[in-house]
Amino acid sequence: MTRPCSENTPMHRVYVWELPIRLTHWLIFVATIVLAATGYYIGHPFISVSGPARDHFVMGYARSIHMYAAIVFAMAVFVRLYWLFAGNQYARLTELVPLSGRRFRSLFHAILFYAFLRREPDEYPGHNAMAGSSYAMIFSVYVVMIATGLALYAVGTAPGSPFHIFNNEAPWLYGLQMARLIHHIGMWIIFIFVVLHLHFILLSSLIDRTGALDSMFSGYKFMPNKEGTARD
Amino acid sequence: MNAPGLAQRLERSGLSRRDFLSFCASMAAVLGLPDTAGQAIAAAVENEAKPILIWLEFQDCAGNSESLLRAGHPTVADLILDEISLSYHEMLMAAAGSQAEQVLSETVRDNAGKYIVLVEGSIPAGADGAYCTIGGKSALQIARDICGKAAATIAVGTCAAFGGIPAARPNPTGAMSVGDAVPGVANLINMSACPANAENITALIIYYMTMKRWPPLDQYRRPLFAYGKSIHDSCERRAHFDAGQYVEEWGDDAHRHGHCLYKMGCKGPATSQNCPIVKWNEGTNWPIGCGHPCIGCAEPNFWDTMTPFYQRLPNVAGFDVGNWVDPVGLGLTGLVTAAVAMHGIGEVVRHRAGEKSSDNSGSENE
Ligand code: SF4
Repeated sequence: MTRPCSENTPMHRVYVWELPIRLTHWLIFVATIVLAATGYYIGHPFISVSGPARDHFVMGYARSIHMYAAIVFAMAVFVRLYWLFAGNQYARLTELVPLSGRRFRSLFHAILFYAFLRREPDEYPGHNAMAGSSYAMIFSVYVVMIATGLALYAVGTAPGSPFHIFNNEAPWLYGLQMARLIHHIGMWIIFIFVVLHLHFILLSSLIDRTGALDSMFSGYKFMPNKEGTARD
Repeated sequence: MNAPGLAQRLERSGLSRRDFLSFCASMAAVLGLPDTAGQAIAAAVENEAKPILIWLEFQDCAGNSESLLRAGHPTVADLILDEISLSYHEMLMAAAGSQAEQVLSETVRDNAGKYIVLVEGSIPAGADGAYCTIGGKSALQIARDICGKAAATIAVGTCAAFGGIPAARPNPTGAMSVGDAVPGVANLINMSACPANAENITALIIYYMTMKRWPPLDQYRRPLFAYGKSIHDSCERRAHFDAGQYVEEWGDDAHRHGHCLYKMGCKGPATSQNCPIVKWNEGTNWPIGCGHPCIGCAEPNFWDTMTPFYQRLPNVAGFDVGNWVDPVGLGLTGLVTAAVAMHGIGEVVRHRAGEKSSDNSGSENE
């Protein structure tokens, strides 16, 4: 069997990504770009302005935008995590954490395929187990980013604010400076993930013609027909 | 009756009732209470039974005692502290040796469950407590005996509150905070900072005398009236922070104009205390006010996590990560991008090869 790349290979449509998955994906995408840009400025304020302070609000805007983007990000991650339990078969926790024998085989299949040690890609409409594991990891990083972000935010809230309670995170984060350091490291992990994610999505879309990139808009993927596997 | 005593003493020291009342009003201000609370405070200080205080000093530099002696209103505060009867304070008391220890044990015996202990300094638990002994007893033993029978324990300064500098890595003496050394101690209140601000300690005791209870505390058992807000949120340079005006170098133009010290490693955003409001040395000034970034001395593990003082991010256990986390992150991202580009080329080659070998139909490939 060849790779499903030829124009003549018969394909069929599979509905893979439900609306909440697509929506949260793009919200996280936009929020991450905004958060990274403003966050980098907050860590390293490279713009310096002169004149009276009342004429400027550079850091003020950066922090405000960072916080609004953080709300969008946190809500989207929250819904995505809920969909690990409420979503269809392609969205579930079992797709991310390879615990079954089938998913384990899928993991090795994908690794061997991308290491040029196997010819055919894993023909499964959802994530292959390598992608799934990377999402499990990146979702954990998201949770850590939200937690450290809330700890850093809470110090500026008054007692009585609903966010004041997150001050209790500081003791077990070993203080706010550690929260700040973890927040920086988390951003770079996300950056590296983005590079890898883009790479594999483009490979899958442009070379294997699975429609992986389009599927995040439409929800549908295209899979080569196999005997007796015509779905939908 | 204590009231005539206090009035006479004030008079003898050349202090007017007006001085006393303005002291009470300033205490109300530190506590964040309205003006009228000053009268309640004055009444309490004049009429209420005074708590008995014991000051224990362990592994420390005596900086908190020094700070207290230079309290913003030394005369009035001193008089009141005298009234309160500071029964035992090694540095201040006239008695010494076994005589002093006798005073201590008598005070503890006669007032068990009623006195207040102020502890200064960390408690070294290493080598069976041999690093700090007084009258043949280890600091650990003394703390457990005396704090265990107290109505309340006030840990004064970061060493007593969190272990402070003696407990910083590698902590050779096994130093710990009072809270860790005496688990379950009643009414523990941490008055951190290096040293603790005397205004806050006096205000805490005055609060207790007036309200007959202890103030609300934060997650580190510090009173919210003094530690409820970060330095950053009440800093006088905050306008420059929000504007984007930062000191880049010592003595540069921005520094001379009093711009924000964030890029010089200011730890105000990670530190909670009322320094910008109450200030130090009779409200003269405070670190950021005179152009030095906050070093975060009021926070737990400050020597380990607030250092390097002139850098934004901390180092971890010997790695110089703080300075490097962003350049290393950028480098790694670049490396991964390069690796992925190579892999992409590999994939394209495989794809072309696969197409050629699998079908020779001559159809155009894309
Ligand atoms: S000097 Fe420090 S505390 Fe003050 S605004 Fe700047 S960063 Fe915040």
